[in-house]
Amino acid sequence: MASLSLKKITAVWIYTILILFVLAILMGITMRFTQGKTISVSPIEFYLLMTTHGVTMIGIWAAAGIVAVNYLLARYIKVSTSLNVFALVFTVISILMLWASTFIGKFHAGWTFLYPLPFHIAWETWATPMFLWSLMVLSVSWFIWTLGSMVQILKKYSLRQSFAIQHISKKSPSVETPPLVLISMVSLLGMVVCFIAAIILLALLLAEYYSAGKFVNDPLLIKNLTFFFGHTIANEALYLGLATLYELLPEVSGRPKFKTTWYVALGWNCAIIFILGAFFHHLYMDFVQPKGFQIFGQIASYFATIPSVVVTIISIVTLLYNNKIKWSLVNLLFFIGLMGWIIGGIGAVIDATISNNIILHNTLWVPAHFHTYNVMGNVLFSLAFFVWVANEFSDNNDLQKYNKLVMPLLMVGGFGFVLMFYWAGAYSVPRRFAMYPSELSSGTALASAAAWFACIYLVGVLLVLFDVLKKCAKVFSSSSH
Amino acid sequence: MEEHKFILFLFLSAAVLVAGIFHFLYSTTLNPPSESEGLQNPLKKRGFVLVFMFIVFVVLLFVTVPKSPYFLFSNETPAKVVYVNAQQFAYMMSYKSIDLNKPEIETDVELPLNEPVEFRVTSVDVTHGFGIYNSKAELLIQTQAMPGYVNRLRWKFTEPGKYNILCLEFCGSGHAVMRSSFTVK
Ligand code: HEM
Ligand SMILES: [Cu+2]
Repeated sequence: MASLSLKKITAVWIYTILILFVLAILMGITMRFTQGKTISVSPIEFYLLMTTHGVTMIGIWAAAGIVAVNYLLARYIKVSTSLNVFALVFTVISILMLWASTFIGKFHAGWTFLYPLPFHIAWETWATPMFLWSLMVLSVSWFIWTLGSMVQILKKYSLRQSFAIQHISKKSPSVETPPLVLISMVSLLGMVVCFIAAIILLALLLAEYYSAGKFVNDPLLIKNLTFFFGHTIANEALYLGLATLYELLPEVSGRPKFKTTWYVALGWNCAIIFILGAFFHHLYMDFVQPKGFQIFGQIASYFATIPSVVVTIISIVTLLYNNKIKWSLVNLLFFIGLMGWIIGGIGAVIDATISNNIILHNTLWVPAHFHTYNVMGNVLFSLAFFVWVANEFSDNNDLQKYNKLVMPLLMVGGFGFVLMFYWAGAYSVPRRFAMYPSELSSGTALASAAAWFACIYLVGVLLVLFDVLKKCAKVFSSSSH
Repeated sequence: MEEHKFILFLFLSAAVLVAGIFHFLYSTTLNPPSESEGLQNPLKKRGFVLVFMFIVFVVLLFVTVPKSPYFLFSNETPAKVVYVNAQQFAYMMSYKSIDLNKPEIETDVELPLNEPVEFRVTSVDVTHGFGIYNSKAELLIQTQAMPGYVNRLRWKFTEPGKYNILCLEFCGSGHAVMRSSFTVK
């Protein structure tokens, strides 16, 4: 079980994540209103908001996943509080450096900081190294955090058991691996690999920066590394969200716990291989990239969905179908999050088809699908965990008492917001345009509609936030538990 | 082009279908028949879904991969070659290879109708995009403009008129106004 100190650090993490979330949503709404010409913001300000919003959002929801599995893993293994304190300290330092580089230094090369844009300095000269070092601090500390989390698991389970390999070969093995442990292990491994890639990427960029022209990088190689990192972290964060779903959904729905079976084990072990190869779809429009990689990218993107989606859907249908369920905010958030995840996945598969990508690449279709499985997927998984854990922290333990407006607000706001992206994307409106050219004025109208939908979503988030923050505060006044 | 509408339609139908399935699943949890025991034979159904998705994906791969832009008009000889050099925040275009010391820039690029043409796209500074839009502001085709590399994009224009080029890779504060155009006659 979680110790009091683990509870406290989890509460501090939740405070940090939710406050940053609200600020990042406000940046997003500002961008959408700017594109909709409702307000006026200069292109440089737009792009520094875009850069800050992107890194902050990716960061906090990856963190939320790691925090949640760490908390829940304490049911099976010994979880170190200091590891989570260490990660929080360095995350905050890194975020402060990042925001300094963008808000003060005006750095605005996008969250993917595609080489060589960071070196074509159109901002304060110190802002480029500040931005790169902020990500270096984050990557190194999170490398330690995720690797440390894996080591904690390996102290209790053997390497084979932590990946549930014994479930593939034997029908009822003597040691059972809970799905939470298996999925955490698979996703943490993916994250460790992706932070190694990030550290190499940032080291190459910093080397070029400090060599004053003696060392020059290859743009195609750097682009591959950039998206290996960017695509992988976004996806593994989602898988960590699913890990919490496997652990908590049956419990709060009054159904028997999920068990790892041979197909759950096999599915998740396959997922890791495909997900690491799917990033190639970010380079479809680089025709100099070897064709074999391009086609492998499409195959990997398709098959990455099969193991996790099919296994998860069958598990959920088995759990719910024709069974009386006590619905509360927690399982509703998981349930709708799963739906958002799948709908976003459909958008992703359409875009990952090379012959569609030719007219969708870098249009608003891209933020459309990744916002769907974040805004209406992973965020909801993490909010479900926050609501659940906040209830655990407070003595008032009735999960079924909740504000009935939350789900309608999140659904209308969230799905409305992403629909505007899909619509504009299908009609060729580019992403990352601070304003749209006159021939694409439909993009302008859709942008301001999207901003209003996002405001509705924000109200839903605030309702959850107030409740969660109030209940989390209880953990600091209690000395027992 | 119908393609754009079709993609949106395909996606929306799939999304509505998923929402319908979730709604149905939800409704079965409210007042399940008391003698019900939930889902029967989940393993068998899972096998069915797995095989079904596998087949769908393999078929889709066989249908879509050959349509990839890398194979477009690959065994025809282009009637015209256009050299494109992208630069923050404009495009240099020429019928001849561009010598950066004394570039000979074509201001009114004209391309033939119904004949394959080739764009050789590169960049002199950061990575840019090269997206070709028709007169109805629909994206037809695109490639990236990456420094140090030349991407060759082949296309056959079947309608005469003015075509716009928009930058489709974020390249800095002027990204949204980086554009050019050419005519097809
Ligand atoms: C309601 C909440 C949100 C709003 C209003 C919002 C809004 C936006 C907008 C307007 C953009 C720029 C789109 C463009 O390219 O023109 C954007 C980009 C982005 N958003 Fe969000 N967003 C929200 C939630 C999220 C969440 C939850 C994530 C989680 C991962 C996220 C991650 C990103 C990323 C990675 C980018 C790309 C930044 C870049 O292009 O450099 N957003 N968002
Ligand atoms: Cu650009």
